Amino acid sequence: MSAACGMVWARLAGLLMAGGLVFAGLFMGAPAGAQWVAPASATAALPGDSERLALIQRRGSLVVGVKTDYPLFGGLNAQGEPEGLEHDLAADLARRLGVRLTRVSVTSANRLQRLEEGSVDVVIATLGDTAERRRIATLIEPHYYASGVTLFVRPDSPVREWSDLRGQTVCATQGAYFNREMARRYLLDLQIYNLPRDARLAVRDGRCAGYLFDHTAIAADLRQPEWAGYRAPLPVVLNAPWAIAISRKERGSAFDRWLGDTVADWHRSGFLLERERAWGLPASRFLKDTRELWSRQQADGTPMCLRGIDGQWPAACRNPAFVSSAEVSGLMQWGLRLRETTGIDLSIVYDPEDRRAFGSGLMMTLGLTLACIAGSLLVGLAGAMLREARWSLVRAFAAFSNVLGRMTPPLLQIYLLLFGIGALLAEYGLRLSPFWVAVACLSFYTGAGVMSALREAALVHRQTDPDYRIHPRRLASIVPLASGAVVAALINVAKATMMASAVAVPELLSVTTTIMAERGNVGVMMNIVLVLFLLLIMALVRLLGLIEQRLVQGAPRRKSVV
Amino acid sequence: MNLPEHQTLTESLIETLTWLPFLLEGFGLNLLISALAMLMGTLCGAVLAQARLSRPPTLRRAGHLLTELTRNVPTFVFLYYLAFMLPTEIRLPGGGEIWLIPGWVKAALALSIAVTGFCADNLSLALAAWREGDHGRALLIIPSWAGYGLIIVMASSTASVVGVPELLSRCNTVIAATGNTGMMLPVYALACAIFVLTCWPLIQVMDHLKRRMMDRYLRYPLATARGGRP
Repeated sequence: MSAACGMVWARLAGLLMAGGLVFAGLFMGAPAGAQWVAPASATAALPGDSERLALIQRRGSLVVGVKTDYPLFGGLNAQGEPEGLEHDLAADLARRLGVRLTRVSVTSANRLQRLEEGSVDVVIATLGDTAERRRIATLIEPHYYASGVTLFVRPDSPVREWSDLRGQTVCATQGAYFNREMARRYLLDLQIYNLPRDARLAVRDGRCAGYLFDHTAIAADLRQPEWAGYRAPLPVVLNAPWAIAISRKERGSAFDRWLGDTVADWHRSGFLLERERAWGLPASRFLKDTRELWSRQQADGTPMCLRGIDGQWPAACRNPAFVSSAEVSGLMQWGLRLRETTGIDLSIVYDPEDRRAFGSGLMMTLGLTLACIAGSLLVGLAGAMLREARWSLVRAFAAFSNVLGRMTPPLLQIYLLLFGIGALLAEYGLRLSPFWVAVACLSFYTGAGVMSALREAALVHRQTDPDYRIHPRRLASIVPLASGAVVAALINVAKATMMASAVAVPELLSVTTTIMAERGNVGVMMNIVLVLFLLLIMALVRLLGLIEQRLVQGAPRRKSVV
Repeated sequence: MNLPEHQTLTESLIETLTWLPFLLEGFGLNLLISALAMLMGTLCGAVLAQARLSRPPTLRRAGHLLTELTRNVPTFVFLYYLAFMLPTEIRLPGGGEIWLIPGWVKAALALSIAVTGFCADNLSLALAAWREGDHGRALLIIPSWAGYGLIIVMASSTASVVGVPELLSRCNTVIAATGNTGMMLPVYALACAIFVLTCWPLIQVMDHLKRRMMDRYLRYPLATARGGRP
């Protein structure tokens, strides 16, 4: 993680600190402006079965390893005094234990070694949680923060979503672990620079849409006067959770549990969110989501995230990346076991949140399909009737709409209506719903086809009855002649509903791209969604075929029509 | 309208027109994507049509099954599928030569699956007619095929969602570059005009040609040509 940090700071800190200098006895009070409620129960009911905890209380001070080369989290201020979000956390731990705080400067290279030696009690030093590190140290759950990737852009950049960047040139720096992954998940065209400075200058000169980098480092850059007005508007993604670490020997001890409970309390009370704001960090979704999750209550009013008898947090409250199938049951166990044995990451099975999102996406797609089918029939019928109206102006309007409907791509129609017309309507305080705009445009496009089919059928009737007019009451006479072409048009509109994803309607395709961008399970999700859509369309073909046969006695089997 | 004070509607229309060459260049890419999609799809469709009319039952069944598949795959989803799943470059085995697969080629590949379905259906009918000696009826596929090509031109605008710099995507670029919401309506309307003015006359010609051919070669009316749209 800290490899991503600013080089200048690292060098500066190295000069000043000269290794692991100890600020012995440097006592820090609670950070100004911090407001939280200390859980009396947590400190009061400390079981004494932790050697380390006993040692801390005996010596009357808590020794915490913190960074001094990572601005905003653990850095040095203009006076050369150490400060940062992690320093605030360390101070709060000492305050809760009722002991003095002793801070020791650690680096990415030596932080776990210091724990192993026993020269520090706790490490809070931008430590990313990985399975490897869990073998060397005890990493506290829940995580207190997560670093991720965001985009540094010019003040005038129009970028608002990661999907705006598809196919665009984006600057990045050599060696960043997330480059390849980001290019894969968001279809970026990366331009790689050697130094962060070069990449930032490339952004300034407009050579790329933005600079892809660790969000904590970008947050520090944005505070430099040189980059005033520059922004990081995109949500932080590819979150790597950070954990407080203690010695391997303390796993499952009272100290481990007390730290976990404290971090949980930091989330619940909003302390972490408040500190994040205080240090001018961009609002991270991780903290917001975690607070929401840990504040959730069960029906009886008790918190959902309570330790079980085994001392573990419930699986639903943990990051699924660190949960193994042995610890859970049901669908989650099945999904995790699949991931462990085959590497197939079916997050829509094991992750409750993904499962819910995917299900609602599916429902949304079904709703869109039904609405588009109904809309197309309505537009087609109305259009055909208007086309035969008595007034020539109405006829001309219907004919013109038909040409417009058939000759402009539906996606363009959607943009034109939602953004072009939408901007006009916004003047009057009206907002168009993307869902209904998509339904309207797709119905308009397909309705033009339905209209042509109905009119051709009417032409046949007119050969025997010159006064024949299309009318809802005479549908029975027209259905047998038009049904084939109409059904074909309806199947086509069902194959186009996912265009609504282009304007952020949360239907199946759009939910899928979100899930795979978050989880990185691109292959699995793409295969699932392709097969699912194929099955949906095939089911619809069958269904419409059945309805057609019902309506038209002895309708030809739909295949071999010219 | 949300225009800055110094800019009137007329000025914003004029500004839109200055972007016309840039937009037309994008439309060229739409045509290129469509041409490639039609080429690949027609070839694949011809193979499937041949398979469907062949003697061996397994080959026939395979032809039917594949046609069924190509007819029902939504190209919009397939476009995403190829954009995310195909590598951006392939190294040829042995030679070590690297081939880049640009986004527009992936888009053409995605659209070609719809063309394959259309051609497999209509070519097999045309081939059957040709073998029966009904050449006029077989030739009817030409205007239908050309008409389908125009549908593909319109469908090629979906390539914008995976970042191919075609017309629609360039419209968004222009709007973003000017940073003026008042530009949205004229820019999108201009794009509509480009599509309508290109496709409508051509469709008229094709429809006319088709009716002429039908009157000439067929003694009974014919339903419109079949095949799923992309």
